[in-house]
Amino acid sequence: MAAAALRPAILRRIRLSPTPSLALAAAGAGASSHPHALARWLARPMSSHDAHLTREEVVDRVLDVLKSHPKVDPSKVTPEAHFEKDLGLDSLDTVEVVMAIEEEFKLEIPDMEADKIDSLPLAIEYVANHPMAG
Amino acid sequence: MAAAAAAAPTRTEVLALFRSLLRTAKQFSDYNIREYTRRRAADAFRENRALADAPAAAAAFSEGKKQLEVAKRQALVYSLYAPKAKSVMELKVQ
Repeated sequence: MAAAALRPAILRRIRLSPTPSLALAAAGAGASSHPHALARWLARPMSSHDAHLTREEVVDRVLDVLKSHPKVDPSKVTPEAHFEKDLGLDSLDTVEVVMAIEEEFKLEIPDMEADKIDSLPLAIEYVANHPMAG
Repeated sequence: MAAAAAAAPTRTEVLALFRSLLRTAKQFSDYNIREYTRRRAADAFRENRALADAPAAAAAFSEGKKQLEVAKRQALVYSLYAPKAKSVMELKVQ
């Protein structure tokens, strides 16, 4: 029962998109009779094309990451904002924000690239063009 | 040590060290340790951000590098004793 109560929280955290979640349910249900069903489902999202993020989704999620940062005034966050000029962040905050964006999209941005990201347009551009962003 | 400590680290080096510390912090599976490491790094960098003279900045930088090594070792040790349950802080409120 405890597991059932936790289910919505877990599902929300792992952000399954509708199709794979159905596949997971099917795989889970068939797991006893079909030991490889889950493995097959796990292998699928690795081929990237169908799971690609739309630009609107990237913009929304990047904005959410910025708004939830403790030092950012959520009302100032726009897709055009500059971290230091518009949001009043310093270089250390910028490192933290870029790291939070990495975490949100399950990316690892190399230092050379991360140093260049100093505004929302650049962050959105980077994530939207990244093939592994999820 | 004294000879190496003379030159102040560049801005890029400092930010790279900060990023490495945050990346190492993320590896802790225990919520409390993970957040502490992140907070500790952020606080220390803020505290030392205004260091004016080069030797003091260099000393703080090499201390930071030592702490990074400590954090890396501890992340490895803690990974052997990962908590079996998540912290309540990690669950999203409905």
